[in-house]
Amino acid sequence: MTGAMTEVITGALSVQGVSKRFGGLLAVDNVSFDVAPGELVSIIGPNGAGKTTLFNLLTGQLAPTAGRVMLDRADVSRLPPHRRAAAGFGRTFQIAQTLTSLTVLENAMIGAFLRHPRLADAARHATAMLELVGLGARAGTRAGVLTLSERRRLEVARALATDPRIVLLDEVMAGLNQSEIQEVADLVQRLNAEGHTFLVIEHNLKVVRQFSHRVIVLHRGAMLAEGTAAEVLANPAVVEAYVGTRRH
Amino acid sequence: MNRPDAVTLPRLAGSAVRQASGVPGFWDGLPLLALVLGVLAGGVGLAVGDTFTLNILGTAFLFAGLSSAWNLIGGFGGQFSLGHSVFFAVGAYTTANLYLKLGVSPWLALVPAAALAAAVAVAISWPVFRLRGPFFAIATMALTEVALAIGNYWESMTGGTRGMSIPFRLGAGNMIFRDRVSYTWIMWGFMALCLIVSLWLARSRLGYYLRALRDNEQAAGAAGIDVLRAKLLGMAISAALTGVGGGLFLFSTRVTDPTSILSLFEFGVKFALIALIGGMGTVYGPLLGALLLIPLESWLRAELGGVLPGANIIVLSIVLILASLFLKRGIMGALQALRVAR
Repeated sequence: MTGAMTEVITGALSVQGVSKRFGGLLAVDNVSFDVAPGELVSIIGPNGAGKTTLFNLLTGQLAPTAGRVMLDRADVSRLPPHRRAAAGFGRTFQIAQTLTSLTVLENAMIGAFLRHPRLADAARHATAMLELVGLGARAGTRAGVLTLSERRRLEVARALATDPRIVLLDEVMAGLNQSEIQEVADLVQRLNAEGHTFLVIEHNLKVVRQFSHRVIVLHRGAMLAEGTAAEVLANPAVVEAYVGTRRH
Repeated sequence: MNRPDAVTLPRLAGSAVRQASGVPGFWDGLPLLALVLGVLAGGVGLAVGDTFTLNILGTAFLFAGLSSAWNLIGGFGGQFSLGHSVFFAVGAYTTANLYLKLGVSPWLALVPAAALAAAVAVAISWPVFRLRGPFFAIATMALTEVALAIGNYWESMTGGTRGMSIPFRLGAGNMIFRDRVSYTWIMWGFMALCLIVSLWLARSRLGYYLRALRDNEQAAGAAGIDVLRAKLLGMAISAALTGVGGGLFLFSTRVTDPTSILSLFEFGVKFALIALIGGMGTVYGPLLGALLLIPLESWLRAELGGVLPGANIIVLSIVLILASLFLKRGIMGALQALRVAR
């Protein structure tokens, strides 16, 4: 019912041959994939595989060395972060970036202002997003005192408040306990069922299995495999990337 | 049927509406501001005839306004500028030169003075806003030194190192009055203007944007905020008001030179210190800071300045050190903490 308060507009993401070079290091190497409207796609891969760098290329914190990022057929590759947000990218960060001196409601309002310039409208929209992630009762609390799990959900609410066409979650479950992980996973799955498109970096393979339509494996900056969770996790190359080869 | 959803959802929706309307707007804050300004006006009324008190009140109001102006970008926006005396001087010299050379009434000249101060602020902030934290503060401090060199060199505008004075030609249009109470009222008006703008900013989208980028620029950008634009807008408004204050200051003292008006201790740093003590990023913090610090400073100068030169500065510095140690969020922060504790 809360989902009916705002119309979900989803978009199609197309990543075309994107690379990022830092001096001699090719952090992201010719990565191409699409995300269709309404899909939930997970990106997995060992530490240092280039997952967060890829996110930063998609949302404009970094500019790609080569390749294009398209959202709904518009090339956004050269836009700065705030214009990518306007184009329809919502995201969270690996280290939760809560605005600590603002209240929970004000944090969500910061996202809501993008499409609701008036104070009262932004507050109303932000409140709806807080209810959606289960933080409605915490609206007046200063965000600096929230638990990690609450901060993660607040970041999701702030991203959702921008009315994004696609939501990028960067390890939104890292550091949470088992029941909190299940809560967030259920939240993401529910939002996806309501029509939101998701691209998710996730280490927890149980969660990845639970909610992904498709899984992309990154290894040393390049795409190693792509497919359903079952296919990808059965792929010998993926197993090798994660646990190494057996010595004979 | 037992359907908990049907019971809880209307309650949630109801709380949502209340919370949404619970975000205070500009008009909600206006009655308190009017009350505060009214009380201070009453103070002026009581002090009429007492030149010493009127001067202290006038100075306190001027610095309440200037520190409030600084607080727009320094407090709400977290850009700890120590270079606001540059915009102060630009405003003062623009007003004076338009009056002395073209005969423009200083009241009218305040408008281009504000505009020029804002333009100078945007031009020099553009590159400096790439710097963060202490590096930004140091860069703005260095700009004050550059401005001082220009001020001393540009004699036709500033009178150079000998300074300039505004001739004593009585008249309301010239902003020259015999009685001190007129200046106290002018400063009261300036303070009122700065506080109204502060209240507006605190309750506006730009104010929310500035507080967001103060906390975290990356998160602000990802949420759709054009960080540089918000900073420049905040700086322009802050500098425009500071420029107006500069014009009013020069016409109330009628004499200045670049070294005095660009003094870090007297202006550049003091704007920030007053806000720091009162509470940065709050509407009433700079006012509280000015009402505390300016009379204290005047009293110390009168009591100790004659006995032991410099002792007033030592005592003042100790007060500042204590405030920065024990009142980290200023007087306003301490008051808020008291209210929460209760």
